Amino acid sequence: MADLSTMRTPAIEALVTASPASHLAALTALPPRTRFSFRGRPAAVTAFGTVLGFDLPQVACRFAEDGARRALWLGPDEWLVTLPDREATAFAGAAATALAGLPSSLVDVSQRSLALAVSGPMAARIINAGCPLDLSPDAFPVGMCTRTLLGKAEIVLSRTDEARFEIDVWRSFADYVWRLLEEARREFV
Amino acid sequence: MIIVGAGGHGLATAYYLATVHGITNVAVLEKGWLGGGNTGRNTTIVRSNYLFDESAGLYDHAVKLWEGLSQELNYNVMFSQRGVLMLAHNIHDVQSFKRHVHANRLNGVDNEWLTAEECRDFCPPLNIDASTMRYPVLGGALQRRAGTARHDAVAWGYARGADARGVDIIQNCAVTGIRRGPDGAVTGVETSRGFIGAKKVGVVAAGNTSVVMAMAGQRMPLESYPLQALVSEPIKPIFPCVVMSNTIHAYISQSDKGELVIGAGTDAYTSYTQRGALHITTHTLDAICELFPMFRRMRMLRNWGGIVDVTPDRSPIIAKTGVSGLYVNCGWGTGGFKATPGSGHVFAHTIAKDEPHPINAPFTIDRFRDGFLIDEAAAAAVAH
Amino acid sequence: MLIIACPYCGPRPELEFRYGGEAHVARPVDPSTLSDEDWGAFLYQRANPRGLHAERWRHVHGCGRFFNALRDTTTDFFAATYETGTPRPAGTPADGETSR
Repeated sequence: MADLSTMRTPAIEALVTASPASHLAALTALPPRTRFSFRGRPAAVTAFGTVLGFDLPQVACRFAEDGARRALWLGPDEWLVTLPDREATAFAGAAATALAGLPSSLVDVSQRSLALAVSGPMAARIINAGCPLDLSPDAFPVGMCTRTLLGKAEIVLSRTDEARFEIDVWRSFADYVWRLLEEARREFV
Repeated sequence: MIIVGAGGHGLATAYYLATVHGITNVAVLEKGWLGGGNTGRNTTIVRSNYLFDESAGLYDHAVKLWEGLSQELNYNVMFSQRGVLMLAHNIHDVQSFKRHVHANRLNGVDNEWLTAEECRDFCPPLNIDASTMRYPVLGGALQRRAGTARHDAVAWGYARGADARGVDIIQNCAVTGIRRGPDGAVTGVETSRGFIGAKKVGVVAAGNTSVVMAMAGQRMPLESYPLQALVSEPIKPIFPCVVMSNTIHAYISQSDKGELVIGAGTDAYTSYTQRGALHITTHTLDAICELFPMFRRMRMLRNWGGIVDVTPDRSPIIAKTGVSGLYVNCGWGTGGFKATPGSGHVFAHTIAKDEPHPINAPFTIDRFRDGFLIDEAAAAAVAH
Repeated sequence: MLIIACPYCGPRPELEFRYGGEAHVARPVDPSTLSDEDWGAFLYQRANPRGLHAERWRHVHGCGRFFNALRDTTTDFFAATYETGTPRPAGTPADGETSR
């Protein structure tokens, strides 16, 4: 397969460069990562966990991580797994072997989306400018993740720290999402 | 005879039963007040630029009646043929609207294509600067004979005309049952104010049609959704016509009181609540602000909802039913007001003659068994 | 805006969901043996009750799952949500009854 990583074209580079700094609500673009969409029933889930190095989270809307690998629960039989690009090929091969004969689906969706981070004391407030979820720490604790909406765009939102969220957004929506977040943080820069 | 529902369609039916067919022993039953349902809640748009022959025939029949209605009723329904402009925002819209223009002309319905500049000339507040818009205006279809009317006046005018000829209009009288004889035919209706006997019952209950028809054991191909509208604070006359955009969903005109009258979309789920979710109206206001930036700082005065009964093919049902003596006029979805005179006229014929008028003959219930749908779902460009 | 309890994700805003129409409408096993009347009824006739309504929803901008709900169409109050493929919860009023 062609090495797609070298063919990536920037989606929001100009916006990132022009973005003002803010310690109250920082907005950053995260480096590329490999993403797999995994779907399967319990036997495949167990087998997949052995390749991943840890069990896929079974609690709704929670992610598990170990080092640079992370697995996000997106649905009762659906997970988003992220890992460094350099591990991708070996991981995909090992997973294919482990899942042989077990009905499941493992799709590389790395190119589909980009990751952003919103951090700082006002992070939740910035995201709430476009997202209707309750982001108080009780309702959306550290370790929680979910698909949801930001404005009119679908995103995957994760809370990695009390004051830090990661957003996974489809490339073609990234420009819109970035500008929406930028608009929301105007009063904090 | 009994008409269930004293909205515009029901009152028009009673009026034409009396005037055209000489039948005045009619009671119009209304659970609320006269014209208090969708008649008093819609955005008063009248047009007839529908794609299919059947629809064009029905809606243009109504427009022709609208044109003489104030004289007919001796009551000013304030019908104003100020033109309805439907905006096209993408290539598909352009192709679809041009197809409408041609189809309408073949049916004798006026409709013409305007470029974006011509649209702006016709409606000066319109923004056609593509660089500022997510969905630029590529042109529009204009029906000049279309326009608006005063919704309450239509109900009152028909009510006065029917009443003067001997029709009884009974408000605060909810129908609670439909009584049938041993042969299955209708014998009358139970109401909150007692039983009323009748050989023929016409149901014109809009969003509540499924509920009323269930009283006669009839399941309907209908679902009822909330549809919202809102008005702004009143301002001096600025908006000369009606503008509709189905792609980004906005309907707007200016009433004679000066309020901008704005129509939003239906909610996503069935409901009888006569309200609706705020995000639906917010979405419409987004669209209004993009099309008409000068309205960005205006304040909205009121918003409300009505319950619209939607058929699978988005065309109405004006027909006999499986029950002898029971007739139904329903399924107008989001666009019933425009048809009020025509609807009442052909429904009165259907009840009086026990057979449809040629204009409403295709609008049967049986089309959902036989497959002869009048599929305006896409063609009417109505975003149900 | 309604708050809808997804059986998998918990209470979420209405915006994340898509309505899927009346629930428990079973597709006939062998449509070719049906009369036109029955096939038309399956395709197009709906209860459309005023009161409780068993209906399908999909948490499209969440876990992606379809599920069923009992909602009162006169108040939009959700009496229950339950997984698709499971029967309507026992002890709940019939369609068209009021939820409270």
